[in-house]
Amino acid sequence: MDSRNHRGRLAARLLLAVAIATTTLPASASEGTAAPDFALSSTAGTNYRLSEHRGEVVALVFWASWCGDCRRELERFERLRRTYGSVGLVVLGVNLDQEPERAAALAGAAGIGYPVLLDSGKNVSKTYRADDLPLIVLIDRQGAVRARHDALDEREERGLLVNLRDLIDE
Amino acid sequence: MRTLLISLLAAIAVSMPALADDAPEPTAERSALDAEVQSLRREVVDLNRDLFMLEEDLLFPASTQIAVFVSMDIGTFFALDSVQIKVDDKEVANYLYTDRELEALKRGGVHRIWLGNLKAGEHEVVAFFTGKGTHERDYKRGTTLKVEKGVGAKYVELKISDRVRKLQPEFVVRVWE
Repeated sequence: MDSRNHRGRLAARLLLAVAIATTTLPASASEGTAAPDFALSSTAGTNYRLSEHRGEVVALVFWASWCGDCRRELERFERLRRTYGSVGLVVLGVNLDQEPERAAALAGAAGIGYPVLLDSGKNVSKTYRADDLPLIVLIDRQGAVRARHDALDEREERGLLVNLRDLIDE
Repeated sequence: MRTLLISLLAAIAVSMPALADDAPEPTAERSALDAEVQSLRREVVDLNRDLFMLEEDLLFPASTQIAVFVSMDIGTFFALDSVQIKVDDKEVANYLYTDRELEALKRGGVHRIWLGNLKAGEHEVVAFFTGKGTHERDYKRGTTLKVEKGVGAKYVELKISDRVRKLQPEFVVRVWE
């Protein structure tokens, strides 16, 4: 009887919690919310799952070959990966091209050493609301989205670096 | 939601010793407080387990529950990339396996790829395995199973194993009541 009462109370609490949560659901992949998990194949044929990088600072760089500003961000994040990779920064490029060959060719030409994940189905980019490219999403070690940036000018790059260093130091 | 609740409780539990650190306490009181914190932590773990079971009971009652699992035995002739599950011609799961997950499967891990509800009666479950076969060749194989769903929960295991004699992978389907 006690057990049934206990389960009944638990059920009531659970339903109440669900009711509260559904009225205050945050926008998907907004700053401060948990980064939606995904798994994608890379141009090298390896599969990556975002949640496997919990405990590391992750920078997602959404890009496409037809986006003019994207190449600069790809190269910028290659430099950042070389500088901060050893202290826990993981960079994952998410490419929106339909043809993986174009993504691989451009990534090769830009000399980037981080994985380029193929999102030709656009499912991940929709979830992360990558409407304008490039989009950079910084995710902290607990798996929460902490910052979103589009193409960066000099001042914004300084802001990004501050954000990044703070996340690495946490 | 459960994660949110647990995180909240865990945060409270974790903050307890931090609060205790602020003011020096006599040793006896401190150890009593530590014991209390440990007990609170245990309660959080128990509550997490209860909530998990309750959530599953509410969402997937045994009368309609069906679960599909993927397991692997050796896997020398097949490098798994993804598994797609269709039930009654409707896609219910499409899972991409990472190297870490494959390693876990090879070490005997079992992955629950889908948990859902089906009404009683006959249903068709189709699983497509995609990956690389021998000599790095692309390999896709489908297997179909007719499932008779009764009143109890139904568990389907999709096992990838090696058929050594034919140097081919083998996909075995087992149904557990």
